[in-house]
Amino acid sequence: MTTLQKAAAKGPGGAARLLRYFTMPIFLGLAGLALYLYVGTQDLDSIEQRSLNAGTLIQQTARLLELAAVSTAIVVTLAVTTGVLLTRPFARRVSPFVIGLANIGQAVPSIGVLALLAIIWSIGFWPCIVALVAYSFLSILRNTMVGLRQVDRSIIEAARGMGMTKLAVLFRIELPLAVPIILAGIRTALIINVGTATLGTFIGAGGLGESINNAIRLDRTVVLVAASGVTAIVALFVDWLAGVAEDVLRPRGL
Amino acid sequence: MIRLEDLTKVFPAQEEAAVDDLSLEIYEGEIVVLVGPSGCGKTTTMKMINRIIEPTSGRIFLQGEDVTKVNPDKLRRRIGYVIQQIGLFPHMTIADNIATVPRMLGWEKKRTSDRIDELLETVGIDLSYRDRYPKELSGGQRQRIGVARAMAADPPVLLMDEPFGAIDPITRDRLQDEFLRLQQEIRKTIVFVTHDIDEAIKMGDRIAILKHQSKIAQYDTPERILTDPADEFVQDFIGSGPSIKRLSLSRVSDIETSDWPVARLTDSHDEVREKMRSTSRDHVLLLDEQEKPGRWVGLEEIQHDDTPLEESGRPAVAIVEANTNLYDTLDTMITSYKGSAIIVDEGGRYAGVVDFDTVLEAINTMRPHERDRHMSPAEGEQPRERTGQDLQAGGEER
Repeated sequence: MTTLQKAAAKGPGGAARLLRYFTMPIFLGLAGLALYLYVGTQDLDSIEQRSLNAGTLIQQTARLLELAAVSTAIVVTLAVTTGVLLTRPFARRVSPFVIGLANIGQAVPSIGVLALLAIIWSIGFWPCIVALVAYSFLSILRNTMVGLRQVDRSIIEAARGMGMTKLAVLFRIELPLAVPIILAGIRTALIINVGTATLGTFIGAGGLGESINNAIRLDRTVVLVAASGVTAIVALFVDWLAGVAEDVLRPRGL
Repeated sequence: MIRLEDLTKVFPAQEEAAVDDLSLEIYEGEIVVLVGPSGCGKTTTMKMINRIIEPTSGRIFLQGEDVTKVNPDKLRRRIGYVIQQIGLFPHMTIADNIATVPRMLGWEKKRTSDRIDELLETVGIDLSYRDRYPKELSGGQRQRIGVARAMAADPPVLLMDEPFGAIDPITRDRLQDEFLRLQQEIRKTIVFVTHDIDEAIKMGDRIAILKHQSKIAQYDTPERILTDPADEFVQDFIGSGPSIKRLSLSRVSDIETSDWPVARLTDSHDEVREKMRSTSRDHVLLLDEQEKPGRWVGLEEIQHDDTPLEESGRPAVAIVEANTNLYDTLDTMITSYKGSAIIVDEGGRYAGVVDFDTVLEAINTMRPHERDRHMSPAEGEQPRERTGQDLQAGGEER
């Protein structure tokens, strides 16, 4: 947290930024506490107890985070690489085609992608990951391409004119300058993945979606409120983390 | 220093060549300005020198070495490059921006750091700016950093593409003067592109006026282009008042000052009268204790009058410094009382007087005088007439 504090203190309106950084976690903590107290006042039957115990909740939350983290890691690697390749001059022809393909991935409803994968492949953790990757690929790809294309041509020309190789220009000029926009894309993808990962339960990938689904089918409001509440808290927390990462990783001077 | 041989560039999917069979020799330590109407191919020509644009055919020699086929990235590290948009890296500090080429060349940290300090001093930017970012600088400061960055690894050649194009006129004028002063010290070989003939005249040791497809209309010193334009195209391009423009090329220190009686404000009336009688002039210039010009007094004003000298006559206001160009000197003169201007040195001390007649005389004798002044030792063996005129004729024959 020290880097964060330093970054916050350095920037304009340090106090205001610190406040912004810490409002969300405090709010989420309070929401979690409220949820805990609410569940504590209820009389739980055996079905509810099976879902609402620390072990199950932690295990399902961990699974949800795992699905989101693994899929995001994979999609970042793939989409950023693709984005870089598609913005090189030699890829001018194929880039509309690839973007069209990525569009299909996002246009098809996520539950449809999951079902489709379950039918043609199998169920479980990895099919769910593949679905999540397909679903969030476009937002990172698009942002990577936009981020790279918005880099001022004169900056690139100056760099080339001073004798930087194309690779050096990419890594030292283009990518750093595209970082803010790429990070925004990654943040979107991360949120999409946390949300969509709850649907993973339908193809046996586990996660908090399992409790939510059970609660709906068995008509257990307490479980439904608790599991959805935790999901929402996790999603908001991940979004907050990504926001902080955006601030810290954005190159200075921009 | 730089020799372009039969350079041609045809862009893909274009029928007409952008640059057609251009040959040009650029001498060491000179500023050569490529000037011409928009779309004439001057920028393309310049960018072929560091091969940002690869020539379709022809050859480029740098310091006698054929660099048409060498690794372009390595070539560019030997050539400074300044563009109109400057193109500073916004995510890097000023120091990191300047260190770009030294780092690529593998300089030691200490050497790079020392060089950054040295360059910041050279371009007149405070060292405290080292760790700032480009967005914190003004346009003029960014431009200076752009020049510093281009000179970082001390390349013998600088390419400048309308470097002062996007800057307000007042700052531009100052940056131009600064750059010319800097060039006095560093003596780089500079290829400078502009569409502004006045900038070309001011900056260039030699000007290449380019027509469509980078055909050379005239390649010569500014003086010769103004006095002896090769054809109608050049004449049109120079525009009106070539003789007046020529005046901005000579400094008042280049011409002889007139003999003028001076006295001191502390002298007695008799001494001043005596001074006046000893010359044919009807006015005497009075200097104060610091040798600074004080007042003009005429004979009739002190003949029968005992007004203190500090109050008689008129204050001396038409004052120019020795390095002022003749254009500005003449301007001062026209608005002055006696049609003359007082020259002072850097400390404001009296150094002489010029009047209309002296300037006219100087203009008439300027031609041979300038030839000597502009012949640099490096090209001493080549008769000067050859370099400009023959190349130009050669370009047209082909």
